[in-house]
Amino acid sequence: MPAFLNFNCSKTIDCKQGAVRAVRYNVDGSYCLSCGSDKKIKLWNPVSGLLLKTYGGHADEVTDVAGSCDSSYIVSSSLDKSIIYWDVATGAPVRRLRSHAGGVRCVCFNEDSSIAISGGRDNAIMCWDIRTRRLDPVQVMKDAKDCITTVLTNDHKIFASSLDGCVRHYDIRVGELTCDEVGQPITYLAQTKDEQCLLAGCQDNTLRLLDCESGGLLSEYKGHQSADYLIECGILADDAHLVSGSSDGDAYVWDLLEAKVLQRIRISDNGGVVHSLATHPKRQEMLFARRRDMYVFSTDLQIEEEQL
Amino acid sequence: MDEDNHLHRFGTPLEPLEKDEVPAKKPLAIEDQIVKDENGKRRFHGAFTGGFSAGFWNTVGSLEGWTPQNFKSSRGEKASKVEQRPEDFMDNEDLGEFGIAPQGIRTRDEFSKESEQEQRTGLRKRKPMQPQVAGPIPGVPVLEQLLRPVRDKVAVRILKSMGWKPGQGVGPRQTRKEKRQATARNKREQYLLDHYGDEGLPSSAKQQNREDAADDEDSEDEDDDEDITFAPDDYEPMFYTPKDNRFGMSYSGLSRAPVLSKSSTSATPMQHINLFGQLETATKQKPFSIRGQAFGVGAFEEEDEDIYAKDDMTRYDFSLADKQPQKKKAQYVQQRHVIDGFSEDKSNITHNKPFVIDLPRDFKPRNWLQRRSRFTPLDAERARKIAETDYKKAGLGRHDLNPEQRAQLLGESQVKKNPFKTASSVSTQEQQERSKSLLELISAKSSNFTKGGLITTAGEELPAATVAPVELSKELKESNTALQAQAASKTKNLGIYLIDSEKRDYLYNNFLIPASSQPSSGFKPFLADEAKQQRYEKFLAANLKDDKEITEFLAELQPVTLSLWDREMEKKEFMQASKIYRPLAGLMLDRFVSEATVQEGNAKQDVQPEEKLKIVMKRTKVMWKPSALLCKRYNIAEPFGGALPEVENALKGKAKMSIFDYLETSVNTKANFQTPTIIPKHIELPKQQQGQQQREQLTLSTSKPTPTAPVEEAEVKPPLEPANSTASKPIFVPKTPLEHAVEAARDKPISEKTDLFKSIFDDSDEDTNSTAVAQGEPQELQRDAKIKEMQAALGLPSATATSAAAVNLLRNNSPPRGIFAALFKPAEEQMDKSTEPAPPKFAPIAGNKLKIAYKSREERLKNDRELAMAEVPQVDLYGPKLPSQLKPTEVQAEASIDAKLQQLWQQHAPKKRKAEQWVERTLSSSEDSDEDSTESSSDDSDVKAKKSKSKKSSSKKSKKSKQKAKKKSKKSEKSKHKSKKKKSKH
Repeated sequence: MPAFLNFNCSKTIDCKQGAVRAVRYNVDGSYCLSCGSDKKIKLWNPVSGLLLKTYGGHADEVTDVAGSCDSSYIVSSSLDKSIIYWDVATGAPVRRLRSHAGGVRCVCFNEDSSIAISGGRDNAIMCWDIRTRRLDPVQVMKDAKDCITTVLTNDHKIFASSLDGCVRHYDIRVGELTCDEVGQPITYLAQTKDEQCLLAGCQDNTLRLLDCESGGLLSEYKGHQSADYLIECGILADDAHLVSGSSDGDAYVWDLLEAKVLQRIRISDNGGVVHSLATHPKRQEMLFARRRDMYVFSTDLQIEEEQL
Repeated sequence: MDEDNHLHRFGTPLEPLEKDEVPAKKPLAIEDQIVKDENGKRRFHGAFTGGFSAGFWNTVGSLEGWTPQNFKSSRGEKASKVEQRPEDFMDNEDLGEFGIAPQGIRTRDEFSKESEQEQRTGLRKRKPMQPQVAGPIPGVPVLEQLLRPVRDKVAVRILKSMGWKPGQGVGPRQTRKEKRQATARNKREQYLLDHYGDEGLPSSAKQQNREDAADDEDSEDEDDDEDITFAPDDYEPMFYTPKDNRFGMSYSGLSRAPVLSKSSTSATPMQHINLFGQLETATKQKPFSIRGQAFGVGAFEEEDEDIYAKDDMTRYDFSLADKQPQKKKAQYVQQRHVIDGFSEDKSNITHNKPFVIDLPRDFKPRNWLQRRSRFTPLDAERARKIAETDYKKAGLGRHDLNPEQRAQLLGESQVKKNPFKTASSVSTQEQQERSKSLLELISAKSSNFTKGGLITTAGEELPAATVAPVELSKELKESNTALQAQAASKTKNLGIYLIDSEKRDYLYNNFLIPASSQPSSGFKPFLADEAKQQRYEKFLAANLKDDKEITEFLAELQPVTLSLWDREMEKKEFMQASKIYRPLAGLMLDRFVSEATVQEGNAKQDVQPEEKLKIVMKRTKVMWKPSALLCKRYNIAEPFGGALPEVENALKGKAKMSIFDYLETSVNTKANFQTPTIIPKHIELPKQQQGQQQREQLTLSTSKPTPTAPVEEAEVKPPLEPANSTASKPIFVPKTPLEHAVEAARDKPISEKTDLFKSIFDDSDEDTNSTAVAQGEPQELQRDAKIKEMQAALGLPSATATSAAAVNLLRNNSPPRGIFAALFKPAEEQMDKSTEPAPPKFAPIAGNKLKIAYKSREERLKNDRELAMAEVPQVDLYGPKLPSQLKPTEVQAEASIDAKLQQLWQQHAPKKRKAEQWVERTLSSSEDSDEDSTESSSDDSDVKAKKSKSKKSSSKKSKKSKQKAKKKSKKSEKSKHKSKKKKSKH
């Protein structure tokens, strides 16, 4: 296993869109998206900090965004109870899908981006056939007892974390719903690259690593403060390190196996909650959102390699 | 150069002229200069080049042309009525100083001097009236023209109010003598004025005037009557202008007013004649002559030097008085910023002394012209005054209290009683016990309005227990004492000694304290029953939550006499009451939390975290049906072939989206209470069992087609193999008794059909039993043997196992694992149980069965024909032809027997059957298919299999084909035991 290298800030971008609600990489990590409280989504080049496009059309704060596998479409969720399917190049909303009864919190694409899955404050998960003109969801899963915070999917499963303290696995292949009850409200869910484990960010200042197969609790990671915020967490590209935001304005990097804090990344000296983050799908690079800014962090070595 | 040094330069030097440049000789000539209006447009042109112009070439258009007004939606302004004024349609110039509607301060119509003409005729410019279309006579109403309200000028009105009448003079009333003197004086003055002008009015003359008056007084003294007074004569008083120059008397110098000024036209006749003014004749004596400049001064010209003026002697005054006295009229110049009818004060004499006006204290400026509706709200001051006076009408101090205050003093709020309470208090104990539950609930509620709360000075009811009771009572006490003291002081003067301190205390103790001082009481829902109320209070104090505890607690309190039912009722009442009659503060406390408590809670949490709760992961698994489309998009086959029970989809049947879908919590739906089950029919049995089952089904199917539920594809396929093997058997199908019954019953009326149904029901049980039990063993053995033989002949691999499951190579034969182990085991057991006797649950479905039985027969016949057809070489049919040598001889032999039987049977068959014979293919050979079907080959079966395969669109059909296949397999046996069966049938 390669030695851990400290992360350094390589770019700070003032998004100029109010408070940044979420930051996300696209599928290959060459672009990033930021959701603002000004109802806009912005597409950036994280390396140069260049604003490429702004997507406006939501009626309320944008909560989450996901890029399609070919990076030609974006799907975004908003507190206006709708999700919008955007054309990246033109910036026009292709489809606007409304069925949620509450604000939509999270959204994701499946592997071939034919299905968008959204979860909202109405405790419902909805699967949308995004390629067709169908305006109602293909399937609605109303099993959760509280707000859905994250939806994830792989080739045959849909994972959803909820504030009712459960991680639900919808196995399409088997036709089975597996509900793993953690007991603490789960604010965010991340999946390891090998799809064996899930990392659940819990409200009790703990990250928990869950085993997909058995549903067992593998490890716990502590150190950060989540307070009452929906703090996001992530797994770095090498599957060896975890990262989480914190309400004290820092970000924490853990070793996955040893469960100890490797680095406490001081993002800013003047407070602000680091609530959203995104890990680069390939490189040791991260995005953080704090207040109105987006920060790009990477290990020095990587940068040098890039430059060489 | 030296000279330059000595020179001093002032100003900026002009640009040195170029050598060839000829300097412009003249500045722009005055006639070349152009007057422009404020918009920079030329308004005046030469007389021959257009004259005066306005607008755009004297049109209302513009350079761009006339464009229609854009549509402007006034939907939003519908409500607000926009009033259009003439000014909206005017240009800025019109509103300007020289426009048609100059803006600025002007005298109102009523104050301004109106022309004599108007005064005389009474005609006055009226505001244009709205033509009333409603009336029969068009135009302005005649009556309105005839009857005209008299409207005087303000000044006239004032004078009239002072007693003035038109025609009279202004001033104090005079006696006859005085009046006479005044008239004489006025006459004289008028004369002098006419002769000398006001300036020329000599002081001596005035003096004389007075003397003359005195003389008159003397002379006409005799008929003087002091009592009769007259109004003074109306005459125009003279105004004396103080002489502020040192010219001679009545001398005015040459006027320096310019030609264009108006004053020059009228005031000084000796001046030039203005072209724009009216022509003036010099004097009456002199011949009419026009003087002045020839054509006046042009618009662009400045007034020239007085070139044509003749400075003749007439322009000079030579005498002081011999001239016709000229009355110097007030110079009337239209001046800027001066109201029409007024002129600027030229005199330097200004009264700088400011006068302080002593306004009355309650003076309020008011525009009296502004009318006020009597419906407009009174201003606060006035309203208060009126209200005050209303109370004080009687003049007694006690009326100073308002009704509320009085009520408070008298304790009226306590006096109020409600009928329910008295009723309940009057009633006897038993009645109370009986009617308690209802009455008390009502009384409690109603008495709370009066008992529980206090009516405060503010007039609102405060529940006694809402505020901290001690505080409240204290506060009330203070306010009440203040009130009472106030009242006492008011009434003291009248000598009425209403309330002394003792009484006050008494009042307190009786009315105010009881309600509020008992801290525990709060609401008293059971006040009618003392004991019960006490119990209730104790119950409240105990603050129990658990139902059992409450029962025990109350059991101790409740008297022994109370019945068990009453106890239970009381408990319920108490619990209900404690819920309902929670004080408001309590209710609010439930919902809101003060910030302090939140912080406190946070602090507590901060302390806590050391005490860690172990996270115990719990995993639960339930069935979940992914929608077909979702599976498709994920590129995954639907689990269980999509045969999972459909979840009650709320979104499907109802409207597209309803908020009520979300209102009910997800656990409340019906689906949540149904444990997902797996229907056994979908379960694929392990090889052996399946084989067994298949066999049993075959046995059963001889007499009764099992109405099994739809079978999915996987299971449909296998039966083809046995069909293949049995298809070579003869096609003749003897009728089952049921079929006979159906045939027979077809023409019968419904009433007689009961037999049929009966036979069906009986049949299903008896027949199965008889076939399965009585003939079961030997038949099965025989059949097995036969199948074995056949398969050997066909060269099929599986010699022993003929079941579908055995043939299906793709089937997973390993025992179920994981969830399947749990799911399938009970199902298998169930299957085992249900196999041996015919499952009774199928029996009652008579109608269904009938249909199936009939159809299957029909199908069978059809297939027979098709098989027969297949023998004829056809181009339409395709597929590999089985080698002819594979034809089993034994089977053929059997087939021939069956064929004979069929022929026999067909001879006896009703003619009707011909009619319903139908074939899909239009082939001539189909007519005699029945006769031709004596032979059947493996080719036929192959074709048939294909056919049935193609028909597998619906599960029902496939099922039929399966049944048919089974039947076929049976046929051979039937034919063997034909004689035996025939007996049993008939």
